[in-house]
Amino acid sequence: MTKPVMLDRRSFLVTTGTVAGGFALSLTPALAQQRAGAIAELNPWVVITPDNVVTIRVATPEIGNGAMTQAALAIAEELECDWSTIRTEQASTTRDYLSYGGYSPIHPAAAFFGGRSTMGQRTKAMQQVGASARERLKAAAALRWNVAASDIVAEKSTLTHSASGRKLTYGDVAADAGKIKLAAEPAIRTPDQWKRLGKTSPSKLTIPQIVNGSGIYGVDVRVPDMVYAALRQSPVHGGKLKRYDESKIKGMPGVLAVVTVDPDEPRGVAMMSNAPYGYAMTQPRAAVAVIAEHYWQAHKALEALPIEWDDGPGAAWPTTQKIQDAAIAALDSDDNARSEMIVGDVSGIATAKKRVEQTYLTPYCDQAPLEPLNGTALVTRDRVELWHGPQNTQQAFWVASDESGMVPERVFVHQTLVGGGFGRRLESDDVRMVVAVAKRFPGRPVHVIWSREEMMRQGKYRPVVAAKLTASLDEKTGLPTAFVAKQASRGHYPRFADTAYFMGPIPNVRIDARELPFHVEPGPYRGPGYNSYAFMQETFIDECAQAAGVDPLDYRLRLFRDFPNPGWVKSLEDVAKQANWGKKLPKGRAQGLAISAWGLNGQKTLGTVVAVIAEVSVTKAGELTVHKLDASFDCGRVMNRDEVANLIQGGLIFGLNMALNEEITVADSRIVEGNFDTYPMLRLRDAPEIAVHFGGLSGLDRYSEIGEPPVGTAGPAVGNAIFRATGKRLRRQPFLKQDLSWV
Amino acid sequence: MALEFKINGKSEAIEVDPETPLLWVLRDHLGYTGTKFGCGIGQCGACTVHLDGQATRSCQISAADAAGQPIRTIEGLSPDSSHPLQKAWIEMNVPQCGYCQAGMIMAAAAMLETVHNPTDEDIDGLIDNICRCGTYTRIRAAIHKAAAEARKA
Repeated sequence: MTKPVMLDRRSFLVTTGTVAGGFALSLTPALAQQRAGAIAELNPWVVITPDNVVTIRVATPEIGNGAMTQAALAIAEELECDWSTIRTEQASTTRDYLSYGGYSPIHPAAAFFGGRSTMGQRTKAMQQVGASARERLKAAAALRWNVAASDIVAEKSTLTHSASGRKLTYGDVAADAGKIKLAAEPAIRTPDQWKRLGKTSPSKLTIPQIVNGSGIYGVDVRVPDMVYAALRQSPVHGGKLKRYDESKIKGMPGVLAVVTVDPDEPRGVAMMSNAPYGYAMTQPRAAVAVIAEHYWQAHKALEALPIEWDDGPGAAWPTTQKIQDAAIAALDSDDNARSEMIVGDVSGIATAKKRVEQTYLTPYCDQAPLEPLNGTALVTRDRVELWHGPQNTQQAFWVASDESGMVPERVFVHQTLVGGGFGRRLESDDVRMVVAVAKRFPGRPVHVIWSREEMMRQGKYRPVVAAKLTASLDEKTGLPTAFVAKQASRGHYPRFADTAYFMGPIPNVRIDARELPFHVEPGPYRGPGYNSYAFMQETFIDECAQAAGVDPLDYRLRLFRDFPNPGWVKSLEDVAKQANWGKKLPKGRAQGLAISAWGLNGQKTLGTVVAVIAEVSVTKAGELTVHKLDASFDCGRVMNRDEVANLIQGGLIFGLNMALNEEITVADSRIVEGNFDTYPMLRLRDAPEIAVHFGGLSGLDRYSEIGEPPVGTAGPAVGNAIFRATGKRLRRQPFLKQDLSWV
Repeated sequence: MALEFKINGKSEAIEVDPETPLLWVLRDHLGYTGTKFGCGIGQCGACTVHLDGQATRSCQISAADAAGQPIRTIEGLSPDSSHPLQKAWIEMNVPQCGYCQAGMIMAAAAMLETVHNPTDEDIDGLIDNICRCGTYTRIRAAIHKAAAEARKA
């Protein structure tokens, strides 16, 4: 018996076998091997067939961040296969469940079926798969030629015996390789030995099918016998269905049924769930769906269907104004305030000679991925099939089980491409709704599509957050000596504490939060919590610098000078150099700076910090142009340079749109905005020049997240630039709803 | 009623409510799912096709109005993804989630038919599709590259 390989303090067995006449290899948690009932079948991570094709089963869905391509690259790093021979498939959550984590060995209960391929030990696990496969292929060729495996070179899917020049392809020996037993599993390459990781940036493997229209997103799923459903949920979140009049749509073409979703009905499976994000945030809203042979028929019939709703407790919050006023008013009371962070002693702040205090507010915002929410489910007596594009396949799998009452081994999720998530497809409340509709029309696959209006008004929004920030400044240096943040929202993910400022640079800190009972539901929106906090924090720091009479760059550099993660200072210095900070600009045109970080989790050397300099101009009439965004960052190290640049470019645009344009408002307790005519998006003509610089990298041993960090930084950099151009300080988002004119 | 559609050089006759938007005829009745549903009100451009050579938002035209006219969808842009835009999109790693990109490519392809050497102003004026992932920097660069490639050919 060979020794299992060790990763992340757990051990794994490399298992091999023959699949489709070729070689299959998997990594199985050693503990799972002893579990009663674990399936004996192989769960291949990689299959090499006689035609030389390398099929890689990837757990991480491709949501646009390159996770699938990166997984293939980690295997190719060791396997030495020809890149063009690689095909990817989505790993099965059902098989993962039956094999006690056959595809999620590193984080079994967490999000192995989501996020990025560079997270934690994932790269190492995939490298191990590639290395173990390569050594078996070499050993099989060695047996064939009766030579030592060490004399064989594996390169570009070809095995070459150096001395004799004999060659075999991987496909030639694939069937033999499955029977090879190695005395020990090979060691994987260390970063200094990498040939591809960190050095190459292949175009994403999904792009060929994207540019010719053949890629299948959730909304593109077509299965035999499928019907379509259009959906209407209670227009006031938390409301109830009173009645509807089906007779009014009787006889409309194609209509098959009207079904309802009742949030109060009993549901669930009597077993422990491994849903990575639980079920609490997936509870359904009261809904009516019309099922028809075609989507447009369902859509028209739903429009014609009279429905009456009971607005429920949401009636208490009729307008945006009332919600925002309540959030701001809550800041004046410490009753019910929940302490989030206390460092040192802030009591001196009340009597400080130099004090800065301001109140900030961010609005509801919708993630608005371009693919409307949708999903296809077939519910039968003994089986549930789901075709869907979630951000996390395991979450979708468990929610489908819970809503249908089907045990997980009889639930089959077919992961599709994902037309944007940004948090909206994380919790799988959409999966619950799809299955809730489909289970009322069993036996035929039901394809449920939210209209854009339905999706935008039935959101899980970036919450309204109000915060009052107070700082005392040192009388000599002008730097903050104490900082107090009071915040109020209905929402999860308060992230005020997640910054380097409170890990030394500002010695005394108190942060507390107030939870408010608004009916409008919050949810994860790209950079949850952080996307509000970074704006408030970085605007406030700019105001402190101004009060101290210190240049905003110099002020931040002084604050982070002794911080143990050099990435903060390096990013600031790099972006200042690249953007030529302080250059002379005409009146009405100015630069602004911000720096923020995501993913620190209270650790000084974790996470990704992004520093941004924005250059804007504002006409006297108040017309804003964002000319350029320069960004420098530190995520430790970079594994795929071009993809990182792509995600920072996109993240800055996302953050810019959030800061300039986005606001969901409430009237009559209902969401007002329903589509892109009232919820505007930046277009090509609005997009500033963006320059991503790599000079901020610390080189510390981590590959931290890239998707969220730039989202927080873009807005405050632009806001601070607007202040320097106009003298107007923006303490609310979105900026473009405010008067920016100046004299 | 029966309507005839000329899609990518092929004629297809189907029974469909003449008020149905072309988008849903393509996607749901005829299976051309490369043309995407994004907003349904002509804002986002994910559903862009060529109708008689013009970039058209297929959610905004009825089946009755589209019938009989030559329609080109992303599936018919080239037989083998060899259109200069498709090649540039792959080479320059343009898409993130990719959902808007078929519409974006169709809008750009219609532009390149008449504007062979587009300036940034041309691009800004002629293409106003939405990319929520924010890949505009790369879209612009890839259009310039594809245009240069097409001029060489």
